[in-house]
Amino acid sequence: MCTNSSCSKRLARMQDLQDLDNETCWLVKELKSYIAQEADFLPRETGLNIMESAAEVGIAIPVTQFYILYLPFSSVLMCYFDVLLWCLTFIFQNHNGVSAKCRNAKVEDLWSLASFFGFSTQTFVLAVNLLDRFLAIMKVQPKHVPCIGVSCLHIAAKMVEDECNISPTHELIRISQSKFTVSDLSRMEKIISEKLNLELKAITALTFLHLYHAVIVSLTSERGEIPSIERLEAQLKACLCQLIFSKAKPSVLALSVITQEFDALQSLAMLEIVQELQRHLKIVDSELLYWRGLVAKCMTEYSSSECNKPDNKKLVWIVSRRTAQNLHANHFSVPELPTIPEGSWDESESEDSCEDMSCEEDSLCGSPGSDAEGAFFPSEFCNQGRK
Amino acid sequence: MLFNLPVFIHLYERLNSRNDGRCRTSNPIHYVFQTDQSPSSLEPNRASRRAMSSAATTPPSVDKVDGFSRKSVRKAKQKRSQSSSQFRSQGKPIELTPLPLLKDVPAPEQPELFLKKLQQCCTVFDFMDTLSDLKMKEYKRSTLNELVDYVTVSRGYLTEQAYPEVVKMVSYNIFRTLPPSDSNEFDPEEDEPTLEASWPHLQLVYEFFIRFLESQEFQPSIAKKYIDQKFVLQLLELFDSEDPRERDYLKTVLHRIYGKFLGLRAFIRKQINNIFLRFVYETEHFNGVAELLEILGSIINGFALPLKAEHKQFLVKVLIPLHTVRSLSLFHAQLAYCIVQFLEKDPALTEPVIRGLLKFWPKTCSQKEVMYLGELEEILDVIEPTQFVKIQEPLFKQISRCVSSPHFQVAERALYYWNNEYIMSLIEENSSVILPIMFASLYRISKEHWNPAIVALVYNVLKAFMEMNSTLFDELTATYKSDRQREKKKEKEREELWKKLGDLELKRGLRSDGIIPT
Repeated sequence: MCTNSSCSKRLARMQDLQDLDNETCWLVKELKSYIAQEADFLPRETGLNIMESAAEVGIAIPVTQFYILYLPFSSVLMCYFDVLLWCLTFIFQNHNGVSAKCRNAKVEDLWSLASFFGFSTQTFVLAVNLLDRFLAIMKVQPKHVPCIGVSCLHIAAKMVEDECNISPTHELIRISQSKFTVSDLSRMEKIISEKLNLELKAITALTFLHLYHAVIVSLTSERGEIPSIERLEAQLKACLCQLIFSKAKPSVLALSVITQEFDALQSLAMLEIVQELQRHLKIVDSELLYWRGLVAKCMTEYSSSECNKPDNKKLVWIVSRRTAQNLHANHFSVPELPTIPEGSWDESESEDSCEDMSCEEDSLCGSPGSDAEGAFFPSEFCNQGRK
Repeated sequence: MLFNLPVFIHLYERLNSRNDGRCRTSNPIHYVFQTDQSPSSLEPNRASRRAMSSAATTPPSVDKVDGFSRKSVRKAKQKRSQSSSQFRSQGKPIELTPLPLLKDVPAPEQPELFLKKLQQCCTVFDFMDTLSDLKMKEYKRSTLNELVDYVTVSRGYLTEQAYPEVVKMVSYNIFRTLPPSDSNEFDPEEDEPTLEASWPHLQLVYEFFIRFLESQEFQPSIAKKYIDQKFVLQLLELFDSEDPRERDYLKTVLHRIYGKFLGLRAFIRKQINNIFLRFVYETEHFNGVAELLEILGSIINGFALPLKAEHKQFLVKVLIPLHTVRSLSLFHAQLAYCIVQFLEKDPALTEPVIRGLLKFWPKTCSQKEVMYLGELEEILDVIEPTQFVKIQEPLFKQISRCVSSPHFQVAERALYYWNNEYIMSLIEENSSVILPIMFASLYRISKEHWNPAIVALVYNVLKAFMEMNSTLFDELTATYKSDRQREKKKEKEREELWKKLGDLELKRGLRSDGIIPT
């Protein structure tokens, strides 16, 4: 790996900025300027702390939200359960503010939505950033979080994606199974834009991830060893699902993700490059170590083979009337005819028709039932059966 | 044309002011038929009239506005209860000497009176003629009623001589050639069945026979001389009756006979096999499939383990091909029950059953596809995890095809599997195999399906997969996206190539002599 060590040496000699090619040079300059600005886009720490400490006092009533349209009885029953649940959650949850668990669940929903609609990772990361910043400065009731989440996603999509890629708002609302309307959504978007004084390009951990990746790619010729950017993006997304990582500085978080990946791949040469980068960008060692630990824990959960049980209980399965009727008709009752147990003795007590039966049957001449008559039992059958 | 012609003729008539005193209805068609009878004044229209008269075979009705009589109206006119063909001694009224009631007679004489009444009930009446022999019909009915009660309550009446008389009476009454159905027009799913005319007597005969079989004094060892294979064969033929009430009684009768006569069991099973095989491969016509399957359900339920090879053969060679019949909806519930019972008895049969279903999967009939999906879900509800692993690949390949079906009911039914908790747990355990199979079609329909409800359900399914196995999901998304991009690039290149060729062609054409070749 002499090439790699020479690369790191080159970086080390970067003070002169002469040996490096223009591209790497430019990248490092970008990095430095972004680091200077990143503090503007951090969610307020106190707000995040409040969220973390807010206890999740939810009542786990396992009510399967499964609506069958047009079947009056079951829908009445479901409505009853729904009302009960709503009352209880209203009493307990709405006085507490948004908790970390609530926010994490919402971010996972956003991940599903972004993935479903084909939005890029940048949209998702930006949306999470907006969500965190908004929740950190505003005290909101948990019942508004779905609306806020979808609004953030929509704003992010409008900023990042091409016009043609963005689906209409009513589609977004329908798929996310939300209960608010399009006008609610646009009002919420306005509120968010005001509160956050939105600028076009927020600097997120993803920006840093891309830059780091580009630097490493340009510095090393061993392309095979470098994990793909998609893989790193996926890992970053998994991290963002936990509230705690919103406290990290984006530059540090991105670097932790990369370091963690190199750690897992055990590629020492890459780690050297990373160390040099860290030195240049003046990232504190202890900080990096702290975040690396947390990222490592998150990654073990993410890539563990044990599956998280999907929470179907939150999803509404709406089926058409015909399918619903079909489903109910199919639950046929047990037929009224009582079971006829097969005799433990063989059927060869019947006077004929044995010749068509399969030969593998071990037909015994034995234990006739209460109704069988010995005289009716021809002896040739006994011999035929025994094999 | 047919519509305008009557109006035209009507106007022509008015012009000629034919007033023959016939009542003129406002219906022009009606009028046309009446004018048929005096041809003299309608010279120009004779040809068309002849065409009309040859076409008009049924009496005119208000429904025949557009020239096509509605099928239901036609059927309603022809609806009548049918009686089976019996030989009748024409004209001679039947006389039965009234016998005293059984309860009025002292106990020792009752058995003999019982036999005499049975013999009397052997006379069969003609119910097609609603006016004949009314008094005697009523007498027979009350006698039969009395016999039913007598058999239910009494003790010590069943002598050895009674058995042949009972069987004879029952045979005389119920065994008959069934009338032919209007086989071309009778659609079991839509039309009302034609009912049996002699049901007032027939019902009591069946009732009597069932109670006789269930009676505490009944001894199969004596009865089996008279209830033999010939009897059973004729009984099975009656299952083709169109009257559902009769089939219901026959079902109970056969069920009791199967239960009590062990010597006949193999024969009954074999005959039922024959009936089903004939139904599937030759005629596709038999009205009693559902009832026979119900009986089989109770038989299968009682199978002893380990299952005999004969029964496994029956499952694979008869029950599974039964799914291919066009009129599956009439007996699907019972068939599915039988299949599930088999699988509960012997889980090792799961693989051949599911492979069989997949082999016969309907390709053009969506209604059947929905039924198959329902049956499959019930099978999956009882499947063992080890068996599931064996068939998961072909199974989910078929499910992924169903999910992307343009017929929304099929897609909906298939997607609904993800609401079933047990199936979800099975999928979870094997998500690394199943997710790659399902992913491509799910992702594609999320963008392309015409029905928004389906798109919403797909979201649920994708979300479930995402939570199940995030790493694999992300990998698949990434490969899918890169595949799509590569495809798009290829498309673009192909377009550009064609464009270039087009330009080349144009340039070549222009160069030769200034004329662009066509």
